[in-house]
Amino acid sequence: MSKRHILALYNDFDEAELAVQELRTAQIKGFNVDDDLTVKSPIEHPEVERMIGYKPIRVQWFTLIGALTGGILAFSLIAGSQANFYSQMKGGKPIVPIPPDMVLTYEMFILGGVYITVLGFLICAGLPARRSPLYSAKVSEDQIGILVRSDESAAPALKDIFTRHKALEIQEEAGK
Amino acid sequence: MSVSNLLENWSKYRHTHPLDDGGHADWNAYPSPIKWAMSIDLDACTGCNACSVACYAENNLPVVGKDKYAHGQAMHWMRIERYWGEPEKAIDEFDSAMNFQLVAQNFDVDQGAQFLPMLCQQCEAAPCETVCPVGATNHTEDGLNSQIYNRCIGSRYCSANCPYKVRYFNWYSYPDQEHAWPEPLNQQLNPDLTVRTKGVMEKCTFCKQRTYTARNDAKTEGREIRDEDVQTACQQACPTGAISFGNLFNPESTVAKQWSAQQVDLVKEKQDKDGTPDNKLRGYRILEELRPFPSIMYLERVRESAV
Amino acid sequence: MGKDIREDIAWAQINKDVLASVQSPRKLYWVILFIALAVFGVGIGCEVMNYRIGLGVSNMDNPHVWGLYIATFIFWIGMSHSGTLLSAILHLMHADWRKPIYRFAEAMTTFSLMTAGLFVAVHLGRLWQIYYALPYPNERWTWPNFQSPLLWDAMAIFTYLSSSVIFLYIGSIPDLAICRDNIQAGWRKKLYSILSLGWEGTDRQWRNFRITYMTVACFLIPLAVSVHSIVASDFAMSQQPGWHVTSFPPYFVAGALYSGCAAIITLFVILRYVFKFEEYMTLPILRKTVRLTFAIAMVWTYLNCIEFASAWYGHSQADKAVLIQKATGPYAPFWWSMIFCGSVVPFAMMVKKWQVNIPIMFAVSLLLNLGMWLERWMIVSPTFAHGYYPWSWDHDQWPSLVQWGIVFGSFGWFTLLFMVFCKIIPSVSMYEVKEMVYHRTLAKKKEELGLEGGH
Repeated sequence: MSKRHILALYNDFDEAELAVQELRTAQIKGFNVDDDLTVKSPIEHPEVERMIGYKPIRVQWFTLIGALTGGILAFSLIAGSQANFYSQMKGGKPIVPIPPDMVLTYEMFILGGVYITVLGFLICAGLPARRSPLYSAKVSEDQIGILVRSDESAAPALKDIFTRHKALEIQEEAGK
Repeated sequence: MSVSNLLENWSKYRHTHPLDDGGHADWNAYPSPIKWAMSIDLDACTGCNACSVACYAENNLPVVGKDKYAHGQAMHWMRIERYWGEPEKAIDEFDSAMNFQLVAQNFDVDQGAQFLPMLCQQCEAAPCETVCPVGATNHTEDGLNSQIYNRCIGSRYCSANCPYKVRYFNWYSYPDQEHAWPEPLNQQLNPDLTVRTKGVMEKCTFCKQRTYTARNDAKTEGREIRDEDVQTACQQACPTGAISFGNLFNPESTVAKQWSAQQVDLVKEKQDKDGTPDNKLRGYRILEELRPFPSIMYLERVRESAV
Repeated sequence: MGKDIREDIAWAQINKDVLASVQSPRKLYWVILFIALAVFGVGIGCEVMNYRIGLGVSNMDNPHVWGLYIATFIFWIGMSHSGTLLSAILHLMHADWRKPIYRFAEAMTTFSLMTAGLFVAVHLGRLWQIYYALPYPNERWTWPNFQSPLLWDAMAIFTYLSSSVIFLYIGSIPDLAICRDNIQAGWRKKLYSILSLGWEGTDRQWRNFRITYMTVACFLIPLAVSVHSIVASDFAMSQQPGWHVTSFPPYFVAGALYSGCAAIITLFVILRYVFKFEEYMTLPILRKTVRLTFAIAMVWTYLNCIEFASAWYGHSQADKAVLIQKATGPYAPFWWSMIFCGSVVPFAMMVKKWQVNIPIMFAVSLLLNLGMWLERWMIVSPTFAHGYYPWSWDHDQWPSLVQWGIVFGSFGWFTLLFMVFCKIIPSVSMYEVKEMVYHRTLAKKKEELGLEGGH
């Protein structure tokens, strides 16, 4: 079924918020608010989350797993290599000394945490991404963009909502 | 394999040396445990430097020349340190701090310089070993502090952490320098060991090439190491016999007898000597309180003023 | 006190101004770049000598085996810490004023770490074997010695460097997207399209961005503290008098933040002029940075006193002798200069008028950094000159010109990297300045509403 994309640009964050609210309550057929609505903004607006409804963030799970893996890997690698391949007495200290191993475990804990967090970010945020069908450079400047995807039939209703809320500009494109 | 080995032998990998194991390394490669040790009698030392020369000859030490020596870049594994007089005592005697120069001169004429042959102390718990980033220096099974030239990357941390400053760094590629072994000295280079390239650390090995041979011979013949099996180059060259060297774990060896006569124990950082006021005990180890457990015992000089 | 930033500044104008910085800086930029290149060249020349002839050319000698290389290594590591302070700690504390200056501070972190890394290499006797220090599986079954603080250093620096590069990069993705949208010419277009990863500022991207940025910031803070503690361990874990000091890790961390903040002031002044950032790097922000620096200077002074006190009252003759040697021996002029630059000069920052006086603050920040460099030298060298063993006392050792040349060259290398970075990646965070402006606008609006309500 063919889909249609519409991008509306707003100068004012409050105006955009009203438009989104109406989209959420309007119950337009062929348009699902949770899946088909994207808000693009030049800065990080914590309010956006309230506006479009909370969605889960899963990056922290990557962080947890990454950090734990890093730490465990570090300790087993270090203690294992000290015991198996290099069991050579040094300075009267134990062959597997805990305090130095802990230092390195700590570093690897952080290293694993950071790397995997970033991996998680790329996965969760869907980056690197192909450019979306409609984009305006104005969004990276100072305007709020509302991108919706809908059935052909729903398009006029959506456009109507955007114009009523004084969108500065409306772009549309037939999807594939 | 690796993790199970780690878990099975956990206690073995966790013991400290030499306090936990009484100075015995837990390797048993030889018929009986070996701990090479030395004692140097400062009363016998005349400061003639023969030991140092012998060391140069035995261990292929490069002669760095006057300029580099003045820069402190010399490679004397065995060095004779000179200390002049005892200022405090002298001041007491002459009761005048103002004429210190004069005092020192008179004192030196009276007492002469004191000498201290300084070489790697082959510590049981060596401060240099733990800090090497690549593990180029280790404790060996015969109680030495080894230095692996091939592994050394020249971070010089070992020297920085050595309390005795007996490690020598190859600041230049000495073998390439003409003055290192000028003709015909190059003919006498010892084939039993290498020359060292620039950028590696080196130090006294207790004549590893000699102890190694002696150890192997003893093993082949299935007997313990005896004193006459091996001499270090410095010991061999010393005209007054101030240096003795041998296996500390063999109670029959000269070194072991000297150590026990002087009540110096390898694994103690503070020797509990009997407190009798007129005892003749002269044995001590340098900077013992830092707990490196050095393997060289010095016998204090008997001062004329004290006799 | 003035406003950190004008709230009526148009967002489009922010884009325009910052984008101009990567395209057309003042002529001074090219002068600085050229000088940096020349200075770096001197360093390269010296290092070639060092490498080919041997470390003897540095004039180090046998008991005195470490010198300016290690001292300058600590200096650069230390400088990296303030970037993290500004970008991570102040981020978590929601200090809005950090926003226009944190990007270059974070870049400073990255590049000073890269400079410090060079000193590890320069210092080694056998640089060509440096890979022995890496834990890689090999046919000899040998591993580095995990007990060595130097190895911890290597690991800590690697972690810190890669984490701060990541942090810097993640934080600039939205700005790179702005660059991509606005710069249409040549290689830049291609570079920005690749680096911006197709960022479009969608709600999903921002949501994950926020949490990732915060998580990495949370990791960076303990990491930064651990990095300089580990550098301090190089000394504190050793046995030498003057080094074996329990308070060294916090002392080093304070010193690191201190020299880093001073360097931020220096770079603040330079960038402000070179890239015409007067609107963004405003004087109130300078004042805040100066106050922060002053506070850290006092912490450092305090920890310095603690160190002296513990040496003085610690009943360790050798420690005491080293301290006396520092204050009265051949290093005395440098040691007293360190005290002067590090503990006396910062009092100039107490004068309110001077806090926003750019020439004075520039001079002060340079002096502070000189003091902090001297501090590192005074940690490393006097212990070698006057250690436990009297026979090896060596009071005359003086670094050769080769050593000084490499130290000098490192400043060129740092400046070069930093200046090139500022020309490619916007050194002021555009999206965060917009946030700052937005927050101010909201606050102002609220204020007005509140006032109206009151009447």
